[in-house]
Amino acid sequence: MAIGEIIASTTAEFVAEAKRYDQIPAYGSFVKVRDGNILVYGIVSGAYTGSLDGASKAKAFFKSIDELKLEQPQIFELLRTEFSCVVVGYEEAGRYHPYYPPSHPGLHLPVEQADDLEVLTISQWFNYLEKTLNNPSGNGEELTAAAIRRAARLQTDPGSYIIRAGRELLRMLNYDTQRLKSIFERVDAE
Amino acid sequence: MKGTILRGSLSGGLEVRLDIGENIEEIKVGTFCVVEGRTHDFFSMVVDEDIEAANPRAFYDNHSDNPLINEIIRGTGIIDKVKIQPMIAINREENRIQPVKSIPSYLSVVREAREEDVFKIFGRPDRTNFHVGSPLDMEHIPVCIDLKKFIERSNGIFGKSGTGKTFYTRLMLCGMIKSGLCNILVFDMHSEYGWEGDDEDETRKKAKGLKQLFGSKVAIFTLDPESSRNRGVHPDFVVEIPYRSIEAEDIAMVWEELNLNPTALEVIYVLQKHLGQDWLYTFLNMDAFEIKDFAERTGAHEGALQALQRKLFKLQRLPFIKENPADDAVERIMQYLDSGMNVVLEFGHQRSMLAYMLVANILTRRIHELYVKRSEKALGGTRENNTPLVIVIEEAHKFLSPDMSRQTIFGMIAREMRKYNVTLLVVDQRPSGIDPEVHSQLGTKIVALLTEEKDIESVLSGVNNARMLRNVLASLDTKQQAIIMGHAVPMPVVIRTRTYDETFYKEITRDDYGGSKSLLSSGAGGNNSTSSLSKADYEQEMPPGKEFDDLMKELYGE
Repeated sequence: MAIGEIIASTTAEFVAEAKRYDQIPAYGSFVKVRDGNILVYGIVSGAYTGSLDGASKAKAFFKSIDELKLEQPQIFELLRTEFSCVVVGYEEAGRYHPYYPPSHPGLHLPVEQADDLEVLTISQWFNYLEKTLNNPSGNGEELTAAAIRRAARLQTDPGSYIIRAGRELLRMLNYDTQRLKSIFERVDAE
Repeated sequence: MKGTILRGSLSGGLEVRLDIGENIEEIKVGTFCVVEGRTHDFFSMVVDEDIEAANPRAFYDNHSDNPLINEIIRGTGIIDKVKIQPMIAINREENRIQPVKSIPSYLSVVREAREEDVFKIFGRPDRTNFHVGSPLDMEHIPVCIDLKKFIERSNGIFGKSGTGKTFYTRLMLCGMIKSGLCNILVFDMHSEYGWEGDDEDETRKKAKGLKQLFGSKVAIFTLDPESSRNRGVHPDFVVEIPYRSIEAEDIAMVWEELNLNPTALEVIYVLQKHLGQDWLYTFLNMDAFEIKDFAERTGAHEGALQALQRKLFKLQRLPFIKENPADDAVERIMQYLDSGMNVVLEFGHQRSMLAYMLVANILTRRIHELYVKRSEKALGGTRENNTPLVIVIEEAHKFLSPDMSRQTIFGMIAREMRKYNVTLLVVDQRPSGIDPEVHSQLGTKIVALLTEEKDIESVLSGVNNARMLRNVLASLDTKQQAIIMGHAVPMPVVIRTRTYDETFYKEITRDDYGGSKSLLSSGAGGNNSTSSLSKADYEQEMPPGKEFDDLMKELYGE
């Protein structure tokens, strides 16, 4: 089921508008876009909710949401949510490739949540961590931690998955153990 | 142990990165391992261990509060590293053992040695391939010494006191006797090889001597029949040394024990020159007038002569030195050796260095002379070559110190090696006291724990990759662990030596390789070693030397 539609797209990242302003995919969750015969996968790297026109700002009313819905139902119609995703890989003919697709996904294509099986496939390759770590919107450590949390949850042995991911990450971090620590303080091995 | 080659050089050894999950604490220095290169297997020894960080900062970031981070870092950010020294290479295709002339390529897999690897290098146990122990942590796999090569050269057994030198010596003696490749003459200072000796293991108490294990293949000679009798040993022969056979050089060797100065030594040579073979006896029996007369005749200093005489009186106190002994010990020893027996000479209470050195030197000199003559005859084709003779001496640094080794017969034997089929097995706790030249001539060394820097250095002289073996030597256990290196083993190896117990007794007395007995012409008495020798049989075995009492009567009267 589509949760958004692409409104901007680059090789490394695409931005989608959420179908409803209050239905946004979780930070660090895995999404997919079907573009012709390939499936592009991404990880949600940030979201923004604001006024529809983008030029003016929403106004504060100092009332509860329920009161507002009753008194000013129209203001919710003027809100929109965008979320950005880093591209981590794509699938073609049943095979997953852990690198950028030959072309970036087209505009107006629907964005869907990736299912568990797909996440398991993607998370076998740890290079998604490199994409999250260096994502264009900054906050790489936060996003990496979120992605590891998401991926680990689906593994049969989350603890060992987290350790394997950590080892891979440590290499990417050029063996900077302090940074590794700051990421893994945000990953709770359940 | 599992890992991959990280880096290294031919001269400096290889560094192995341990695989994640391997426990470095369980890998001991001295462990035998194999590197599987592309075309060669490299048989190596662990010589050092160390911890390395890819990014040195990692050492200083403390994550003791975060077990997860520690788990991640261990093996990636901070790695356990093992340093190994390749000792031998085998070309897998040709299956040929060769010295190491190259190193395995990067990322070659390193693994623990397996049984077949040990056999490939050290061979399987058989009559001449003697099972001495097993590699560290591989207790069921036998490591063998090639006895044929072992007896080709002089060898050494070294170790701090209390590290089991006596046991290693017993072990090697058993192996050599069983193989029948050579005859053995042991100068048994502490009377611990021939008959029972103390076992440091409380549960066993007594360790069997060679006579108990090999019966008629071993003869016990003694210098102190009373001590032997008190210990329940029936010696085959009581050794007495005639004054005649003591030469100036014998006295020169024990100058320290007799407290002689260089002048005294010169006087001794003068005495020998003028008084001939009986110099010592004649000199000791001179009174003051005779000494004066002798001094005037020869130009020697009278005072020096008197002082020397006083000092030499010490020799008279040695009960085994006789004017006219009943029998010639050397001839008897040769007789026994010729009949294929091995001789253990017990010193009993005569365990002073003076007695030990004097007797060992006198006997060995004459035996050596005989061997040289025979070898020359063998060269001339008039007789068969000698059975090799291995002479075992303890406290070897006394005989082979840099000052002494040029004068004593032992130094000569160690140097000229196997030419005349006589070699030494030196047992010592201070190898640094032995002449470096002798060290370099020792073929095989069995070394137990040594801690003194000088001792370690001296045993490693003349050994390849000596630098690497240092750590190994200093980290041996105090018991039952030794490193064997040299001529008789293809590569140095740390072993846990066999236990000298009932199982060993049974194995060593069993005729399991067929026909080993026939190699030794059977000596006096029956052949006691049978394949079905049980524990009860050992105990029933009668002590040898039935004629002992007659002999005692003959020697000492009623």
